[in-house]
Amino acid sequence: MEKSEPKKFVVPIGPQHPALKEPGHFEFEVDGEIVTGATARFGYVHRGIEKGAETRSWIQAMYLLERVCGICSHVHATAFALGAEKLAKVTVPPRAQAIRVLVGELERLHSHMLWLGVAVHEAGFDTLFMYSWRDREIVMDLLEGLTGNRVNYSANVLGGVKIDVDDKQRDDILKGLEVLEQRAQYYLKVVTTDETFLGRTRGIGTMTYEQAELLGAVGPTGRASGVKRDVRVEAPYAAYPDFPVNLITDTRGDLEARFVVRIKELFEAIRIIREILDKMPTGEIQTKMPRRVPEGETISRVEAPRGELLYYIRSAGGDKPDRVKVRTPSLCNWGSVLTTAVGHKLADMPMILSGIDPCFSCNDRAAIIRRPDQPAQAWDWESLRLHGIEYYKR
Amino acid sequence: MLPLLRGLLTTLKSMAEKPTTVSYPEQKRPVSARFRGRHVLNRYENGLEKCIGCALCAAACPADAIFVEAAENTDEKRFSPGERYASTYEINMLRCIFCGFCEDACPTEAIVLEDNYELSFTDRKQAIYTKEMLLNPVPAQGKPTPQQVEPGVFTRSVPEMKDPTD
Ligand code: SF4
Ligand code: SF4
Repeated sequence: MEKSEPKKFVVPIGPQHPALKEPGHFEFEVDGEIVTGATARFGYVHRGIEKGAETRSWIQAMYLLERVCGICSHVHATAFALGAEKLAKVTVPPRAQAIRVLVGELERLHSHMLWLGVAVHEAGFDTLFMYSWRDREIVMDLLEGLTGNRVNYSANVLGGVKIDVDDKQRDDILKGLEVLEQRAQYYLKVVTTDETFLGRTRGIGTMTYEQAELLGAVGPTGRASGVKRDVRVEAPYAAYPDFPVNLITDTRGDLEARFVVRIKELFEAIRIIREILDKMPTGEIQTKMPRRVPEGETISRVEAPRGELLYYIRSAGGDKPDRVKVRTPSLCNWGSVLTTAVGHKLADMPMILSGIDPCFSCNDRAAIIRRPDQPAQAWDWESLRLHGIEYYKR
Repeated sequence: MLPLLRGLLTTLKSMAEKPTTVSYPEQKRPVSARFRGRHVLNRYENGLEKCIGCALCAAACPADAIFVEAAENTDEKRFSPGERYASTYEINMLRCIFCGFCEDACPTEAIVLEDNYELSFTDRKQAIYTKEMLLNPVPAQGKPTPQQVEPGVFTRSVPEMKDPTD
């Protein structure tokens, strides 16, 4: 009798799936319970922001790009503003740079605490999820008091910042940090000592240093594998030269290490915020930015909560950017998920996925759909616009 | 035994704590002074509208959410100081990204993002807020617009600033 090839068993997950609240499609090849291969497909939330930025003036594009991500919005605006200011050769006053960093670090606090909640929720540890999200409200309130909104703060303008920090806000922030620091101590204790929880994280999703370098892992994901990479340390921008950051790394590379690195980054962010509030430079918070930016191109790198965020900005000398390219940290880290997934149980997949702190919408920059029976479609701006209008009439 | 008791103590302690949840919508959280919610169009003390229909906000808006159409003021039918007023003023709240740039662009501080965050609609048409919905009520000392005024009083459309650094 002829023997047939053993067929692969594929478990499709997503795009709408129970683990994460954002759309992404994964296919896990399994042998019993064990995953033997993984592929990912994205592009479900592509919004054409890069193209949209080309049709708006420099400052409008900044507000638009701030909406790339709802969690780390301030870093996007900062990256764009720093790049545009570099092109226009505008020097931003030190107080404005310090406020940028201040908001950026508060945002890191909120982002890491949000991630902590989501990740422990994937592990089924809902008590810690509720705790960390409750405590996250403290930093959300601080951000609301400082900038006006809980997300998409619009704290930046080109040439400085819009908001100033007064004494009352300073005291509020210091008071909030006090509580947060205590809570972070508690989280660190829980994630390193709780037996049940360690069963889900210790030795799971381990990525060695070599793998991390090879796959180009960035941010806390890479740092948990011992990759010494942090834009704030390597190429300090804004006010980071005056307020140096201590690099936080771990060598184990498993999920536990990622928890530890991120929670230790909470302490580091708290330390930086305190230092900034203590030594806040005085002076202006804005300078004048020309409406037209001279011709040229630049790369602007900042450290988002998830890792290195890269902006390529090109100006043709007009009042609109000629090209803006965004490369977000989540995109760099997918390789590590797909590699470390192999060999683990299917039930560990949600944890491994959320271990890199994935952000799908900031990931989806360009989607090219190739079908074997059709040539790739190319749409120009005008026909795409008309298509959009027609689509929404229905 | 000891860890169990410690766990129970945590439960006991949290029973005495004040709940963190707010029972919205009966109970509302206060928003911060800098909060950017739904826009309002302001009026002067005397009831005249601050908006002069210059459409600077519409030009500034990154989301193309504002539509302004201006018409001429006369001293018999005066809506705002100066030559012109906004006869149509619409904001599409589905397009608006609440960045607050319109506020920065406005020369008369007519448009301000205020505290209301309860925006929900059942179709796209309802998301367009018209001038009537956005305008603040007439203040106690003021008269409703259009007003009949003495000629030559309200010639300046942009008020003189008290403190130019403000
Ligand atoms: S807040 Fe921003 S998006 Fe909304 S109307 Fe004003 S400028 Fe436009
Ligand atoms: S709200 Fe301000 S910027 Fe907009 S049209 Fe009126 S006066 Fe001009």
